[in-house]
Amino acid sequence: MTYSPTLIEHFRNPRNAGMMANPDAVGEGEDDRCGDLARFYLRVRDGRAVDVRFQTYGCGPTIAAASAGSELATGRPVDDLLRLHRDDVERAVDGLPAERKHAADVVAEAIRAAAQDYVRRRV
Amino acid sequence: MSRRVYLDHNASTPVHPEVIAEMLPYFGERFGNPSSIHGFGREAREGLETARERVAHFLRVGKDEIVFTSGGTESDNLAVKGAARARGGGHIVTSQIEHHAVLRSCQALEREGFAVTYLPVDGDALVDPDDVRRAIRPDTILVTIMHGNSEVGTIEPVTEIGRITRERDVPFHVDAVQTFGKIPLDVDASGIDLLSFSSHKIYGPKGVAGVFIRKGTRMAAVQHGGEHERRRRAGTENVPGIVGLGKAVELRAREMAAEAERVRALRDRLTAGIQARVPEVRVNGHATRRLPGTANISFRHVESESIVLGLDLKGIGVSAGSACTSGNVEPSYVLEAMGLPLDWAMGAVRCSLGRSTTTEDVDYVIDAVEPIVRKLRAASPVSR
Repeated sequence: MTYSPTLIEHFRNPRNAGMMANPDAVGEGEDDRCGDLARFYLRVRDGRAVDVRFQTYGCGPTIAAASAGSELATGRPVDDLLRLHRDDVERAVDGLPAERKHAADVVAEAIRAAAQDYVRRRV
Repeated sequence: MSRRVYLDHNASTPVHPEVIAEMLPYFGERFGNPSSIHGFGREAREGLETARERVAHFLRVGKDEIVFTSGGTESDNLAVKGAARARGGGHIVTSQIEHHAVLRSCQALEREGFAVTYLPVDGDALVDPDDVRRAIRPDTILVTIMHGNSEVGTIEPVTEIGRITRERDVPFHVDAVQTFGKIPLDVDASGIDLLSFSSHKIYGPKGVAGVFIRKGTRMAAVQHGGEHERRRRAGTENVPGIVGLGKAVELRAREMAAEAERVRALRDRLTAGIQARVPEVRVNGHATRRLPGTANISFRHVESESIVLGLDLKGIGVSAGSACTSGNVEPSYVLEAMGLPLDWAMGAVRCSLGRSTTTEDVDYVIDAVEPIVRKLRAASPVSR
């Protein structure tokens, strides 16, 4: 099993890791079978995610995918994040081995859940 | 080149240079088939028999009680299936923490109609000899218990178990792949009838191993073909590999005791160093009845594989105690049998030290572990 240099780089230096105080939205993604968990926090201004933070529990690829996902989400309109696809996350780490595809699923699910949480709070 | 530290000796070991030197002629000038009667064959046969003598001498058993195989897995398959099928049916006693080579052989035998009891272990991974005694039935045809567990290093009370099997006249197989050449084992005093051992865990080549089969033990062939290895195991012998195994055993006989002490001290330095620096850490396996080089360490609320990857990026090779394979959570079945809670079991990392390990290596690993675990915990939603 080999990982892309991009994935390794994100694992080595995760961007935006940690909690956020008083976020505008929070969302979680979890893989029931594998137990991997990602939680995303959003700060939203004028409909855009201006600050994104995450926490993860999981294997290296999940941590890397969360870091790449946080960069992907930063600056994007919340409406876009509602439709974020797992493939967008996988592309951001330059691919995942077959045994670690769940990393992108967990992260995309968490970001979408955070976007949905924002929409819910606005209603 | 940055530092590289190999702490995965329970997985495999580098071949000792003296072993390589001993093997080399058997790839070239002494290439013959040991079954051939001409000079070329005789030269190969000589190498094969010298290796057999070395192994037999080390185990203090008869030369004709040693059968060479292609690896530890084949040895376990031959011992367990061979002994069971020779009886045609009956009951087998084993434990829940055996290597898959034994567990899956037992499962295959269940499908053939044999009954199997999988004994539990305690929190230190020890099998209770009294459980073995209670599990033996009138139709029990084999007891198979490992000597040392590869994951946590716990050394099972095989001598006590052997006393029971001898009393009850039940053949006793011991999977000693992880302990052979690392710690002493008295095959006779332990009442062992079948013993699996391997080469690449003790600085010999891969693809070669063996089984001690006590004279008089009823065995059925598992692999059919020629009359090699006294009809115990068909197939042309891997002569260079076997020669290498013989040399590796000879070298271990010389250095085993001193090396065990040295490695034990380094292992204890490693676990003490990590425990002093990192909170919420525990060492799995028995405190004293443990393989000298093995340290299975659990980091609570961190996932094994992320630590393994973090250490790998620092040039350190260790193995994950639990792994999520193909999207399925797989806490190690050994840790599960020991009753370790999931939040500890999922963060287990096995470090196994060996000949090349130095104090500097150990200190480098201690220094590397702390920031990796701290970072992972800081980004973890399950850690406080």
